[in-house]
Amino acid sequence: MTPQYPHASMYRTTEGLGLWAHRGKVAAVGVGHSPTARRWDGNPETCVGAWSILALRKAIADAGVAPDQIDGLILDPVTTTGAYWPEGAPVPMDVVNAFKPTSDLLDGIAKLSADWILQNMPELTNIQFVMYAPRCMSHAVVVAAQAVGSGLTHTCLVLKSWHNFEGRYYQGGANAQDAIDGTSAISRLWGTPASYGTALQFAEYCRKYGKTHDMMAPFITNSRRNGLMFPEGYWAQHRPEHLTAEDYLAARWIAKPANLFDNDIPIMVSAAYLFTTPERARDMKHKPVYILNHASSRGTPRSLTPTLDEVEAETSKTGRKLYEGAGITAADLSFENTYDGFTLFHQFHIEGLGYRGMKHGDALDFYQTDISISGPNPVSPSGGNIGSGRSRFWMHTDCIQQLQGRAGARQVTGVKPEIAISGGPMPLGGNFTVWSATPG
Amino acid sequence: MILISFDIDGTLEVGDPPGVLTMAMVRRVQKEGFLIGSCSDRPISAQRAIWAQHNITIDFAVGKMMLPDVKARFIADVYYHIGDREDLDKRYALDAGFEFLWPQEAIVQPWFL
Repeated sequence: MTPQYPHASMYRTTEGLGLWAHRGKVAAVGVGHSPTARRWDGNPETCVGAWSILALRKAIADAGVAPDQIDGLILDPVTTTGAYWPEGAPVPMDVVNAFKPTSDLLDGIAKLSADWILQNMPELTNIQFVMYAPRCMSHAVVVAAQAVGSGLTHTCLVLKSWHNFEGRYYQGGANAQDAIDGTSAISRLWGTPASYGTALQFAEYCRKYGKTHDMMAPFITNSRRNGLMFPEGYWAQHRPEHLTAEDYLAARWIAKPANLFDNDIPIMVSAAYLFTTPERARDMKHKPVYILNHASSRGTPRSLTPTLDEVEAETSKTGRKLYEGAGITAADLSFENTYDGFTLFHQFHIEGLGYRGMKHGDALDFYQTDISISGPNPVSPSGGNIGSGRSRFWMHTDCIQQLQGRAGARQVTGVKPEIAISGGPMPLGGNFTVWSATPG
Repeated sequence: MILISFDIDGTLEVGDPPGVLTMAMVRRVQKEGFLIGSCSDRPISAQRAIWAQHNITIDFAVGKMMLPDVKARFIADVYYHIGDREDLDKRYALDAGFEFLWPQEAIVQPWFL
């Protein structure tokens, strides 16, 4: 089956669209995660394909649905942003031959096609709809919401996987070549770290509003604390280390004012969700979490890097789109789970949402108050990428689990979990979802 | 007096990835009266926890760019930093006026044998 790419009409990118036509008519029920690892150990059972299968099977079992009832699969075929198979390195044929391979021998190792998944999951006998949603789970989630809502699929698996290899992230691929083309020839010519654009925006933010980088410390400690209560996460599984304010403030700069702990740690991991209609969800194993709306940012900067003004305008617009389509206001949010990988743009997202009445410039002061899961104003209860490693999906899993009441030690207690927003990655260029414990 | 700063990941056996220097070697030089500690990208609190888990009392635990602080704080005849990265260990060490050793160079030093 040839996967489709989403048509532009599947996204809600502008204001004035009114209530989302499928508001409350799409539900997430099952969640499945693979284990995590810092890097691939070279074994077949831990390659990105194997862990994808594991996550998918867990999501299916978690939902309590028969595999032959599943008719849709949405995934990201790209499984990294910065770890590439070394040019000329031999392909490990023992790994390739441990599965049913496709014509691309690195499929399932350094990338992931729908064909590879379907060839290696024979129980998925009824897949009628396959779509690619590149870049991150936030993208796959909004595409899945629209696909289920519009009837393209009624029971759909949503998958995002990440591989990581030996060596330094972002040092291979195009960055290892002698020449670079396209826009990158200008924007990345000087070998800037990935976080530099966000760092520039944050520096301007601090100047404009009279804030300091040190004021990020409570957000960082809160995120790691929450992450250590995420048993699916990297830090909880491998290095249960808290990040103290002292740790954060002593870290070296990566792109000042972004320091080491403002950047996330690349890992290997897969996650899958099972989306369906409310009618079908009734017979499944867990309480459905309904999607009230989704919205996407497709803002483009005037120059190489978005300015703070452009960032603030775009995040406010995203907030308005989300509320308009969901038929809610900021006051309806129980908590927020917007993206944090890099930490220094989390405040742009939540100020754009107007979370707890915030306006631009307020978030760092807000971080000095009780933002824990036990307080009245939880910030990033998932802990995000800082809390559990680079996946870009902890926020979605957390929203589902919180609203189902099965977030375990991470369960918010200071508020009743009813409505939440997750999404990202970037303030300009992201996909966001409004989740609800009820269909609205 | 000799001061040795140890990187952790890729240098010590407890690192990720593990390095060639064992905690027994660290204990040996400490017993000889060396000043010892770690200089790593690991959180400072996590560095301290690693040493505590191995019952080694350190003189310092700092971030990568804090070797100048270590030099200012301790008087020694020679300052060494042992690490596995050109940019994050060797460069910082030399900039701070430390002698630099790769782990495979360090392991054959007489103090560790």
